[in-house]
Amino acid sequence: MIRRPIPTWLFWTLLVGGLLVIGLAYGRLSHLQTLKNPSQTIVPGWQGFLDGFRKITQPTGMPSNPKPSMLVTDMIATYWRLFLGLTTGVILSVVVGIAMGAYRWIEAPLSPVISFLSKIPPTAMMPIYFILVGTDQKMFTAMVALGVFFTMAQSIYQAVQKDVSDDAINKAYTLGASDAEILWEVIWKQILPRVLDNIRLQIGPAMIFLLAAEMIVGDQGMGYRIRMESRVLNISVVYIYLAILGITGLLMEWGLLILRRKMCPWFGS
Amino acid sequence: MNHTALEIRNVNHWYGKNRVLHNINLQIAAGQIVAVVGPSGCGKSTLLRAILGTHPPTSGEIIANGHIITEPTRDVGIVYQNYSLYEFLTARDNVSFGLKLDQTSFPERIFGFPSYLRKRREHQQQAEAFLEKVGLREAALLYPGQMSGGMRQRVALAQALILKPKIVLLDEPFGALDESMREDLQIMLLRFYQENLLAKKAGLVPEYTILIVTHELNEAIYVSDRVIGMSRYHTEGHLGSSIVYDRPSPIFHPEDPRDFSKFVEQREELRRAVFEPEYIKDRNKYVTFWNDLATMANAMNAAENTME
Repeated sequence: MIRRPIPTWLFWTLLVGGLLVIGLAYGRLSHLQTLKNPSQTIVPGWQGFLDGFRKITQPTGMPSNPKPSMLVTDMIATYWRLFLGLTTGVILSVVVGIAMGAYRWIEAPLSPVISFLSKIPPTAMMPIYFILVGTDQKMFTAMVALGVFFTMAQSIYQAVQKDVSDDAINKAYTLGASDAEILWEVIWKQILPRVLDNIRLQIGPAMIFLLAAEMIVGDQGMGYRIRMESRVLNISVVYIYLAILGITGLLMEWGLLILRRKMCPWFGS
Repeated sequence: MNHTALEIRNVNHWYGKNRVLHNINLQIAAGQIVAVVGPSGCGKSTLLRAILGTHPPTSGEIIANGHIITEPTRDVGIVYQNYSLYEFLTARDNVSFGLKLDQTSFPERIFGFPSYLRKRREHQQQAEAFLEKVGLREAALLYPGQMSGGMRQRVALAQALILKPKIVLLDEPFGALDESMREDLQIMLLRFYQENLLAKKAGLVPEYTILIVTHELNEAIYVSDRVIGMSRYHTEGHLGSSIVYDRPSPIFHPEDPRDFSKFVEQREELRRAVFEPEYIKDRNKYVTFWNDLATMANAMNAAENTME
């Protein structure tokens, strides 16, 4: 039967068991591969991971003038770019999305353009960004910001249309609201949880665009490092970077969920 | 000494070539609870939206507080049947929302922080007092999603009435509620009417003027002091709907038994006049509210005189 409840102990056993099976299977695979070729780095064992981890966490630079390790430099570079890009993209799309949902004369010219551009994969538009914005920090910001902008502006515009009824707006007028007050006190407050959800959902795509850009033109950053290390078959480093990307993604998603519960307790989960 | 809350002068409305409203004239005095009934498609909603200001009439004028209504303003309040609250605000904040919008401004909320906080506290206290009036003191901090339909409509009523607009429009407000909730809310309207009577006695302008659109004839006669029927079924003005019934209705005290047998005759008269296509020949036959009122007042004076 679909959705038949199972006992709690069984649930947890299956949960832990699943992880265990994956770990054991990987260990076995790595062991077999090492038997075939003792110097292999493609399916690294525990020792390989340890070496990789040491390598990326070692401070770089001269002993007299130590610099942050590879991992720290890369993480700062990537997440700073992500932050700049997402912030710009979110602010832009909230402003444009609300404006489109509130004013017909803004909706009319913008909505066809935005729905068209949102269908072009941002990674495919990369050459255009290189030409228009160059290949420095600005490019990464533009890449992420515009990559999430079209989709997000569209969904915020739809949220305004769907979640804010004409009745709610007309009623606000009868309660003495000005246009600006309706934008801020009614529309913005109503769609705030949708905005937070949208940010949460756009972190994934944003990372895709950013890492792709970093792989092509970066000189530091997670994407750049993954490409460089995989070229020399340093797969242990690649795996660690992938794990870090996964964990950070989970943490960000979790943080945004908590933020939404705190800021919008009225919004059902 | 009747203070006019709302005046409708020669209002007509067309949707394209389709005439919906025909020559509507209506004057509502402060403190009246007016019920509007009519078959579906008779233009009740069109008239309501015209009074609200979202869809001004094709011709004619609707005047509240000395202004012709061309857009929604704080002179005319509204309670919708559904979704009538802001779901991101608690009951208390929903009720005080109008006070906040009306009495503080954007810059003040941002820059004038101490004075704004003081006002905000006052508004919240006023809102709590009003919530107590509609029997929802304990629900002050609940969100609409946590309330029943009946509670939500009470909050919506408080939200509209607390601002004391010239008139509050109720658009089938109890249509989605179950019977017992409906009764509670009807009795609440009667309580507001009692407050109006007290204010009148004290020589003040009554605060709660309400126009309620409903499809329930019993409800219309029970909660109101004046019933208006709208219908297309009259000899004048083909296709356009007009007011074909406008008479006083019996006044119930909130504690009175809900005895609908008291007005069986009026209900029958209303039903025929408004819902039977062949019944009315003269559009003004039952539009006698102000005359009836004068007759009643004369009769009352006469009775008082003979008592003396």
